[in-house]
Amino acid sequence: MKNRRCLIFFILISIMIVILFWVSIRLGSLDVSAGEIFGMMTGNSDDAMHENIITNIRLPRAVSAVLLGGALALSGFVLQAFFANPIVGPFVLGISSGAKLTVALAMIFFLSAGRGMSLAIMVISAFVGSLTAMLFVLLISVKVRNMSTLVVCGIMIGYICSAICDLVVTFADDSNIVNLHNWSMGSLSGVNWDEIKIIAVIVTVTLIMTVAVIKPMNAYRLGEAYAKSVGVNIMLLRIMLILISSILASCVTAFAGPIAFVGIAVPHLVRMSIKTDSPSVMIPGSFLFGAAVTLLCDTVSRVLFAPVEVSISSVTAVLLVPVVIYMMIRRNDLYGNRHDAG
Amino acid sequence: MQDKSGIVAENLNIGYASDLIRDICLEVKSGHIVSLIGPNGCGKTTLLRTLTGQLKERGGTVYLCGSDRSALPATDVAKRLSMVMTQKLHPALMTCREVVEIGRYPYTGALGILSEDDRIKVSDAMKRTDVEEIADSFFGSVSDGQKQRVLLARAICQEPEVLILDEPTSYLDIRHKIDLLLQIKSFASEKNVAVLMSVHELDIARNISDTVVALGEGSVLRIGTPDEVFKEPFIRKLYHIEDMDTSILGRMPWEDSEASEETQPDNFRKSASGKASVIMIQGTMSNAGKSVIAAGLCRIFSDDGYKVAPFKSQNMALNSFITDEGLEIGRAQAMQAECARIAPSYLMNPILLKPTTDRRSQVIVNGKVESDMTAAEYQCQKTKYADDIINAFDELSQKVDIIVVEGAGSPVEMNLKKDDIVNMGLAKMLDAPVLLVGDIDRGGVFAQLLGTLDLLEKDERDMVAGLIVNKFRGDSSLFEEGISILEKKGKKKVIGVVPFMDLKLDDEDSLSDRFKTKDAKEFDIAVIRLDHISNFTDFDVFEQLDDVSVRYVSDAAELEGADMIIIPGTKNTISDLKKIKENGIAEAIVSAADRGTVVFGICGGYQMLGRRIEDPDNVEEGGSVEGLNLLPVDTLLQTAKVQTNGVHTIVNSTGVFEKIRNTEITGYEIHMGKTEPFDDLEEFTSNGSGYCSNNVYGTYIHGFFDKKDVMCAVVESIAKQNGKCIRTDAAVDHDEFKNTQYNMLAEGLRRSLDIESIYKAMGVIK
Repeated sequence: MKNRRCLIFFILISIMIVILFWVSIRLGSLDVSAGEIFGMMTGNSDDAMHENIITNIRLPRAVSAVLLGGALALSGFVLQAFFANPIVGPFVLGISSGAKLTVALAMIFFLSAGRGMSLAIMVISAFVGSLTAMLFVLLISVKVRNMSTLVVCGIMIGYICSAICDLVVTFADDSNIVNLHNWSMGSLSGVNWDEIKIIAVIVTVTLIMTVAVIKPMNAYRLGEAYAKSVGVNIMLLRIMLILISSILASCVTAFAGPIAFVGIAVPHLVRMSIKTDSPSVMIPGSFLFGAAVTLLCDTVSRVLFAPVEVSISSVTAVLLVPVVIYMMIRRNDLYGNRHDAG
Repeated sequence: MQDKSGIVAENLNIGYASDLIRDICLEVKSGHIVSLIGPNGCGKTTLLRTLTGQLKERGGTVYLCGSDRSALPATDVAKRLSMVMTQKLHPALMTCREVVEIGRYPYTGALGILSEDDRIKVSDAMKRTDVEEIADSFFGSVSDGQKQRVLLARAICQEPEVLILDEPTSYLDIRHKIDLLLQIKSFASEKNVAVLMSVHELDIARNISDTVVALGEGSVLRIGTPDEVFKEPFIRKLYHIEDMDTSILGRMPWEDSEASEETQPDNFRKSASGKASVIMIQGTMSNAGKSVIAAGLCRIFSDDGYKVAPFKSQNMALNSFITDEGLEIGRAQAMQAECARIAPSYLMNPILLKPTTDRRSQVIVNGKVESDMTAAEYQCQKTKYADDIINAFDELSQKVDIIVVEGAGSPVEMNLKKDDIVNMGLAKMLDAPVLLVGDIDRGGVFAQLLGTLDLLEKDERDMVAGLIVNKFRGDSSLFEEGISILEKKGKKKVIGVVPFMDLKLDDEDSLSDRFKTKDAKEFDIAVIRLDHISNFTDFDVFEQLDDVSVRYVSDAAELEGADMIIIPGTKNTISDLKKIKENGIAEAIVSAADRGTVVFGICGGYQMLGRRIEDPDNVEEGGSVEGLNLLPVDTLLQTAKVQTNGVHTIVNSTGVFEKIRNTEITGYEIHMGKTEPFDDLEEFTSNGSGYCSNNVYGTYIHGFFDKKDVMCAVVESIAKQNGKCIRTDAAVDHDEFKNTQYNMLAEGLRRSLDIESIYKAMGVIK
C-alpha cells in the first residue's frame, strides 16, 4: 500500500512539473503561444525577440526554479532529519539569513572596490555564511535541548542578519542598493545558463552525498543511541548532514536570494502525501515537490501583477505559511504519535 | 584469557564528568540473565550505557565475546550487541516494521536495502515478540507494551550475542510485563544469548535472573544468585529503607527467599490446606511395574516444577537403603526419591519388612529395626502400625506438593484384604485416586485389570481413576482395540499403554529379572546368588559397559571363567555360608582365589571371606561357623546394627586394585556385627570397614563401585591382568548413569501416559 501510494505520488509530481514547466515558459508579461514555442524548438522561429525571451530568460529561469526549489526542499528535509524535528528549515533556523548576510557584505565590498562579483565568490561567501549560521545554531542546540527555543533562536539570528544587512545598505552607494535590494527580496530573475551549469554541478554533487547517507539517516530516525548501537558513525553522519544542508541552502541563497518556507513546508507536505518519513523516498520526493512548488510560486510571482514582479518569498509565504501553522498545531497527530506520548 | 562468549567488564570505571563507580568486574555468560538492581541514581543506566559504548569508559576494559570492545569496528560491535533503552521514542511516521528493520542495519549494504533473508529475520523477530499484527501501524500509535515488544524485536533481529536492556518493564502493566519477560527469557535460552538488564521491580529480578548485581554507594555491593542477594538486611540497606515499613508493597522479595531457604527455591504450588496432592499406583500383581511407574511420575512432576515425594506404607524387600538420617527404607523408595530430586527420608517408607527366613521377617518401623516376627504375628499386629503410616504420611505431606504413593502386590489378595494398610485400605485413608497397573508382558492383561476391578468393592472401585497397561512390546497403536475393550468393560479410562522399556534401575527385590542367568561376555563378573542376597544394587554400575556381564550364579560350575567373583551382602550370613559350603560354591571360590581370580566380598560376603563368624547372641542362628578363610579376619555378630552413610577412602589396596589407592568413595554401611583382623593387616577401606590380602578384598561399604573411576580402574586392571582389553570410556558415574535412566523413564511415560488427566485426577490445577 505504501509503495503504491509512493508510485502514484511520483507519477503525479512528475506530470505536475512538466505542466508547470510548460506554463512557466509560456506565461509572463508577454504570453508566447504554444505554436511559437514548438516553432522555436524545431528551429524555424520568425520572431527573434520572442526566441530570446524564451531561451535566454524563461527557460533558464524555469530550470533554475526546478534545481533551486528542489535543493531548498531537500535542505529542509535534511535539517529536519538532523534535528528530528519537522518544524525546522534553512530559513527558520537562520541559515539562509546567514548566507544572505555574507553575500550582501561580499557584494558591497566588491562593488565598492569597483570590481564585479564572480559567481565563485558569490557561492563561497554564501556557503561561509550559512555554515557559520548553522554552527551557531548547533552551539545553541547543545545548550538548549528544547526545539521551540531553537527555532526562536534561529528566527532571532535571521533578524540580526537582516538588521546588519539594512545597516550595510544604509551606507552603501545607490547603485549597489538597487542590486542588493532586488537580490535580498529573493528572486529567480536574471539567472543565466552559465550560472545554471554551476547550480547543476553543486546540486548533483549534493544529491549524491545525500544518497550516500540514506542508510545511516534511516537508522538515525530512532535517535542517536539506537543509531549508534547498530553501528552508525554519528559524528560522520552529523558532519555530512550539516554540509549537505549548508551547501544546498547557500547555493539557493547565492543565486536566488532567500526564499522562505519552501524548505520547511515541502518535506512536510510530501510526508503527509506518502505517509512515511523514510529517507529513501523522502529525498527524491522532497526534491521533486520542492521543484514543483517553486516553479508554481515563481510563475505566480511573475504573472499575478504582470508586468510587475512580486517577490517570490511573498508568494511562498502566502501559499505555505498556512501549511506550517497547521502542522505546528496538529503535529502529534500528523506524525503518527498519540497525544499522550507528549 | 577471556571467555569467548558474553560480555565481560574488567576494572571498569564509569561516570560522566567524574567516576561514578570504579573497578567494576562483571561477567554475563551466554544463555544467562543478569539483573542490575540498586536505588535510583546508583549508576545502573550509566553502567549499561558504558557497556554498550554510548558512554566512553573512564578506565578498564569491556570485552565483547572475548575481544576488547573499544578496538572493534562499530559494525562488529553491532553484530554482537544490541540493546533496548528506556528513553521514549517518537520516530515520525515510522511503522513498527521499519523500526524492527533498523536491527538489520549492520548486515545490509551501503544503501541499507534489505535482502529477502533480512526480511525473513525481521518477520521472525516480530513473530517471536508477537507484534506481527501491528507491523504496519505507526510506532507512535501503538501502546507502551507493544512499543517495548517492537523494540525487543528490533534488538532480536540484530542477532546479538549480548542483549542489554534498561528497565525493560517500566511503564508496562502486568500482562505486558509477563509477555516481555517470557520473550526475553526464551530468547536468552534458545539463542544462547547473554542478557544484562537493569530492573526496578525486585520480584522480577529475583525470578528471572541467574545472577543479580547490586549497585549502590558508588560500588558494586554484591554479585550472586538471587537467593544470595535477596536477603532482607542487605536489600534494606541497599535501598536505604532500614527502618521503613514495607507492608504497603505487600510481600517483599526476601520473604520468598527466607521461606525457601530450607527447601529449594522452586515454584511452590500447594493446596490451601497445606497438604500435598496424592496419586496412588497399584498393580495387578507383584512386579507389574508399580515402582517404576511411580518413579517415572515422580520425575515428571518434579520436571514440571513441583516438589514431589514417593511413599509406600509397607515394603517387603531384602534390598534396603540407608537415608542421611541413618535410617533404613526400601530401595525402591530411595530410587523414587532420587527421581523426585528429594533426599530419601524414613517418612517415605515407614514400614519395611526384610525376610530373614521363609517364615520370618525383620520389621523395620520408621527406619529402625523393631523386631523379628513371623508373617502370622505381623498380620495380627499390623493395625497397630496404621498410626505410624498415617503419621509419616501427614508429616511428608507438609513438606511437598505431590506425593506418589505405591501400593504393594495386588489389591485383591482376598484372604489378606482385611485391615489392609498398603493398597485400597491406604487409598481410602489418604483419599488417594488410584492408577491400576497391569503387566501385558506376562500375559492376561484383560483378566488382570478387569478381574482386579471386579474383585474390588464398589467404594474401592470408585477410587480407581484410571488403568495403565504396562510393558507393551511393539507398536502400541495395535492395542487400540484393547483399550476400548478395557474402557468398555472396566468402565475406567485407560490412562496409557506404556511400552516395554529396557531401563537399568535399582530393582525393588529379588523377583527381578537380573537373576536370570545371562551368558558370559568378554569380561565376566560372577555374583554368588545367595539365598538371602540383599543390597545387590552394588553391581548395577557394571551393567552400563557393553562388554561386561554380571551373572548371578548358584552353581559351582557357573563360576568357571569368571574374571571377578563377588560375594554380595546377605540378610543371613551364617545360613547362606552353610548353603554355599554344601553346594560346592565355597570350594570353587577358594580354588579360584588360589588361581589368582579376584574375589570381592561386600558386607555379608565380606564376613564369609574371613576365618570364622561367631554369633553368641543368636543374632542369626547362633553358634560359630568357619568362613572361607581367604582373609585373616574374624566376625562377631552383634544385635546392634551399624548404619552409616558417608565418604570413605580406599587406604591400601593390594594386587590389581593398586590403581585405586587413595580414591574417595561414597557409600553406606549396614550390618550387624564387626569384623576385625587377627593378623597384622592393613586397612582396605577406611575406619576398619574393610581389609584385603593379595587378590581377596572385603568391605562393608555398599556402593563401592559406584564411582566411574573406581569401577573402570577395577575392570581395566583385572582385564589387563587376564590379557583382555575392555573399553570403559563410555562409562559414567553411577549417579549420572541413573539420572539419564530416570530421564528416559520420565520421557517414555510422558509419551505414553495422559499426564494431564493424572494431574486432573489429583486435583492439581496447573
